[in-house]
Amino acid sequence: MKKMFSNKLNIILFLLPALLLFLGILIAPIILSGYYSLFDWNGFGKKVFIGFANYKELFTSNAIGFMKALGNSMILALLSVCIQLPLALGLALALGKGIKGERAFLSIYFIPVLISTVVIGQLFLKIYNPSYGILNVVLRKLGLDNLAKIWLGTKETALGSVFVPTLWQYVGYHMLLMYAGVKSVPPELREAAMLDGATDGQVNRYIVLPYIKPIIKISVIFAITGSLKSFDLIYVLTNGGPLHSTEVPSTLMINMLFLRNRYGMGSTIAVMLIILCFGFALLINAVFKEDK
Amino acid sequence: MTRNSSKVKNTFLYIGLIFWALINLFPVYWMFTFSLKNNDEIFGANVAGLPQHWLWSNYSSAMGTGKMGVYFMNSIIVASATILITLIASLMATYAMTRLVLKRRLTMNKFFMLGLTIPIHASIVPIYVTLSRLHLLNTYWALIVPYSAFSLSMGILICTGFMNDLPRELDEAACIDGCGVWGIFFRIIVPLMKPAVATIGIYTFLQCWNELMFANIFISNSAYKTLPVGIQALSGQYTTEWGPIGAALVLATFPTLFVYVFLSKKIQESFIAGAVKG
Amino acid sequence: MKKFLALILAVMMLASMAAVAHADDKVDLTMWCIATESDSNRHAYEAAIADVTAAHPEVNFTWEATENQAYKTKIKAAVAADEMPDIFFTWSCAFLKDFVDAGRVYCLDKELEAYKDELPEVMLGNTTFDGHHYGVPTTMNIVGLFANMELLASVGYDEVPGSYEEFIACCDKLIENGIIPFGCSGKETWCVTEYLESVIEKSCGAEALNDIFLGKATWNNADVASAVDTFQALVTKGYFDPEGIALSNDEVKANFMAGKYAFYMNGTWNCADFAAKPELDGKIQVAEFPVINADKATLGQLIGGPSDTLAVAASSANAEVAAQFAVELGREICHYGYLDGCGLPAWTPFYDASGINPLTQAVSEIVANSNAMVLFGDTAQNADAANTYLSYVDLVYGCATDGQGFIDGLTADIG
Repeated sequence: MKKMFSNKLNIILFLLPALLLFLGILIAPIILSGYYSLFDWNGFGKKVFIGFANYKELFTSNAIGFMKALGNSMILALLSVCIQLPLALGLALALGKGIKGERAFLSIYFIPVLISTVVIGQLFLKIYNPSYGILNVVLRKLGLDNLAKIWLGTKETALGSVFVPTLWQYVGYHMLLMYAGVKSVPPELREAAMLDGATDGQVNRYIVLPYIKPIIKISVIFAITGSLKSFDLIYVLTNGGPLHSTEVPSTLMINMLFLRNRYGMGSTIAVMLIILCFGFALLINAVFKEDK
Repeated sequence: MTRNSSKVKNTFLYIGLIFWALINLFPVYWMFTFSLKNNDEIFGANVAGLPQHWLWSNYSSAMGTGKMGVYFMNSIIVASATILITLIASLMATYAMTRLVLKRRLTMNKFFMLGLTIPIHASIVPIYVTLSRLHLLNTYWALIVPYSAFSLSMGILICTGFMNDLPRELDEAACIDGCGVWGIFFRIIVPLMKPAVATIGIYTFLQCWNELMFANIFISNSAYKTLPVGIQALSGQYTTEWGPIGAALVLATFPTLFVYVFLSKKIQESFIAGAVKG
Repeated sequence: MKKFLALILAVMMLASMAAVAHADDKVDLTMWCIATESDSNRHAYEAAIADVTAAHPEVNFTWEATENQAYKTKIKAAVAADEMPDIFFTWSCAFLKDFVDAGRVYCLDKELEAYKDELPEVMLGNTTFDGHHYGVPTTMNIVGLFANMELLASVGYDEVPGSYEEFIACCDKLIENGIIPFGCSGKETWCVTEYLESVIEKSCGAEALNDIFLGKATWNNADVASAVDTFQALVTKGYFDPEGIALSNDEVKANFMAGKYAFYMNGTWNCADFAAKPELDGKIQVAEFPVINADKATLGQLIGGPSDTLAVAASSANAEVAAQFAVELGREICHYGYLDGCGLPAWTPFYDASGINPLTQAVSEIVANSNAMVLFGDTAQNADAANTYLSYVDLVYGCATDGQGFIDGLTADIG
């Protein structure tokens, strides 16, 4: 029987479709990007080998502003872990307890995830519009005229304004993940604790949370790598402006690849992004393991 | 704690939940009313209210000018095939990594997880070159293959959780009954993986239904264009009529919402079944 | 569910087979362009393609339009993978030059020779490299100063002031009456350059600006610094709608058409849209930006030129047929585009053009009196320099740097 399960040919055949797709479409391009990152190249003309000069320029040049962009995406990652995930967790716990209209709430909260980013982007452009946007109109109606701002056009407010929809859109996604976890807590555990006189808060703290820790880990990984990769909404809302205040690595990368014709530098940013995402994933894994 | 205070607490909870629900429903309302307005109302005159004149003609112009029907079908074809391929590839790979005797299975699994961290925009040109060498450009495969590849890691992640949960005695019993590995896989494992199928389906669908960058670059033939590209083509360099764009957005989004509303119970259940196993 | 999936797979197979099977002795030509269904050039493309395909029954012509921003990514990826269509839309000057330098563009000298009389050499300047022609210009556009005459009349002007002093006095008067003089999108930096480049040109002269754009002179030019300060003074004096910085050009243009701004400086392709709105009839006029420093600049120095271009891929299997086709197509697109008011013709008209909308006619007059044209800065400079330039323009519009900082930064980053 062992023999059957360790037949090499079978193993290879089972892995083949996934490996082909994975190596051909994901791994090979990364290797190519790594190779291109060593060249000064516009994507179609002559390649000039320049070693690690692109990397050096990326980290030192103020004109590119990679560190600033990276900083912005780290802020997003932090906000994501500190605001988005707790909110999702709160909703998941509230719904998971079993209340009236549980399913309806659950379905509604997931809707933003289903709507295309382009639509969400257009919606928030209208919300933030300085003259007729809902946000400013409401502020003015409340007599808070001095709080009404050009939200996406002011350096100080643009970053925050871009982050709000980015964080909001995926609350439902994380909530559904965590809700599923909450629901899978064996009811006996919950009941036993209740019989011992535990309050809702205590049940959540001592029974539910430890039980769904693996899910929280996955949520954290998704939230952080997602923040590092975030692109669509920022592209629609500000495309990195005003004055590069909302630039993130992905917008810089697209800029380099396709607007500035600096394919080598674009590839360098791609490589850095992959290294960072993978590094963070490993780090989070390690943190959660240590906790155990 | 008295009964009264918990009632007050509950009321607050409901107020909070309903408030959050309204925030999440607003985009749907906004998109629908936006699709029935003209440019003047969209740009300032009436942003959030109901349309003054209900311009149903926006829908006919979105359908008429944009070949939206074709794009819609294309999106469905691409999404279904992507889901199918992702399912097959990730089920098979997970089976090999969880059930078969494989050295370094954990390394292998981590290797696949690398895919979760790769930004999709970084690999456009290399993938483009690959597809062009394989003569796949301007076919459905030009989208199906990369979309499947990018959904694969998630698929494997979900499958691993479910499959680890299936008792090994099942395999052994089947083996004694004379089943080969393939027999075990198709007759025993796959039918038991139904909840995973739904979960992977929705993830993959979300990944590919709204994707724009690949769809725009890899397809240059209207016959194979997908919805997001079609919507984008409605906005021009010098002029843009926004009403029909809104209508197209509704046409692209509402079917997803309807499907979700009908399937939501199933989807949620499969999520629950898959929980804590990742 | 299974049946459904099987059905879909079957449909897919059939569809991909249908795409492969199709063989006759016609020549297949494909074209990519940006004339999407809502683009104002769409009609001109459709009409021109109908004419030219009718004249060439031996050609099996297909074309695809992609939205402007997405097109830039698409065409560059296609060039990188060597998967270019036979004929493609391109912007002239630097955008095209990168492709030409890489040897990817077919030389059109032979085909254009036959049309020498209809296509003045000056219109080919932006698509000529090392003395060879690589592109077919279609329409050309300049930056126009569009004015809402109703608002001007309300502060006592019945025409756009001709001198800079009067122009500034007019703006002050508008402000006094609570009218915003200028609308400009800060989110799309090219819109800011429409203003800034006009100010620089009318302060330093066309030649100086052109030399900088083409790399013949450096940015280290004190006149440019003071011109940038002049522009920034307009911003700090509140002539520009402060909300513009967060708006897209579409939104700003909608504001202008709704009567929120007195002036809107932008490309003359807008004429078609303004003319198409009956309620704007007679309300909008177009003028040339006044001269700021008469020692260096004169009237008749404009920003603009032929930019929209068709080119042929060197990799095309039927490059010669494609070249002939592209030249004829460019000529017809120019013809119909001009009649539609989408811009001025790069080709000498062979048809009666007297019925064109009055705005386009006014532009045509301005161009007829012009003596120098400087192409838009983001088209004239190579991609990397152009984007560096745009980010410094951003800084100026956001008042994060001044004229000296502008030229210092650009000198350091570009030269």
